Amino acid sequence: MDDFERELRQAFERRPTPPGFKSKLMRKRRAQRSPHPAVLWQRLAASIALAAVVAAGFAWRQHEERRKGEAALRQVMIALRITNRALDNMNKQRAAHGRVNQN
Amino acid sequence: MAHDWQPDFEQLVDEHQSMVFSLALRMTGDHGLAEEIAQDAFLELDRNLGKIESAAHACFWLRRVTMSRSTDAMRRRKVRGVNLWVEMEDHHGLGVEEQASPLGARLEELLITLPEPQRAALVLRYQEDLTPEEIAVTLGAPLATVKSNLQRGLKLLRIKAATHLKEYVRGA
Repeated sequence: MDDFERELRQAFERRPTPPGFKSKLMRKRRAQRSPHPAVLWQRLAASIALAAVVAAGFAWRQHEERRKGEAALRQVMIALRITNRALDNMNKQRAAHGRVNQN
Repeated sequence: MAHDWQPDFEQLVDEHQSMVFSLALRMTGDHGLAEEIAQDAFLELDRNLGKIESAAHACFWLRRVTMSRSTDAMRRRKVRGVNLWVEMEDHHGLGVEEQASPLGARLEELLITLPEPQRAALVLRYQEDLTPEEIAVTLGAPLATVKSNLQRGLKLLRIKAATHLKEYVRGA
């Protein structure tokens, strides 16, 4: 290392930070750690929106199940009416057939 | 990998604030910008504190981030079309004379006129006393490039010092 390099090393000693550097940094650090009020509102709004979507999905599913149940019940009632009518017809035919045999 | 070292942010600030600020100042030549870069580097350290494994790692990490932030800041200025050299010299004169020796202040003024890669290599070599190998790791550059930047930067600085600082420098 020659004289110039030695002078360079001496000239390039570390400098002190400007006054208030650390306190300013600590303030920024605290602000960085506690979320901004706008962020809290955004989080709340997102939670409400998510809850609304889940509730709507649940209600829609219940409605669909009830509708399908009612449709199935209607079909069962129709089938019972058809069966009832067919049995009536059979009874009438059997009664008519019995009367013919007696005569 | 698990590590036992428990980082204390305030202690790290106390230990390294001067190093971080001086690196940023010598890279940018602007007190305000250097302070901003130093603050950002420490805030980023705070966010990444869990990844830091030792005191030496913290020091290396801060040097690396500071150099990279300073380089980015300089490039942003170039992109904005600011007359970099004129602006830097204007800013650099402010406050420098108050704290540094006359020779130190003049050498810093000359340093700021060097190309950025040469300036980075010289600052890490003569401020931080790093070896070329350590500089290469810090800057993420090939060793040969760092050695070349050191040689060229030193040569250029010698020539400038011989012209401008005859009254101060003995070995120029």
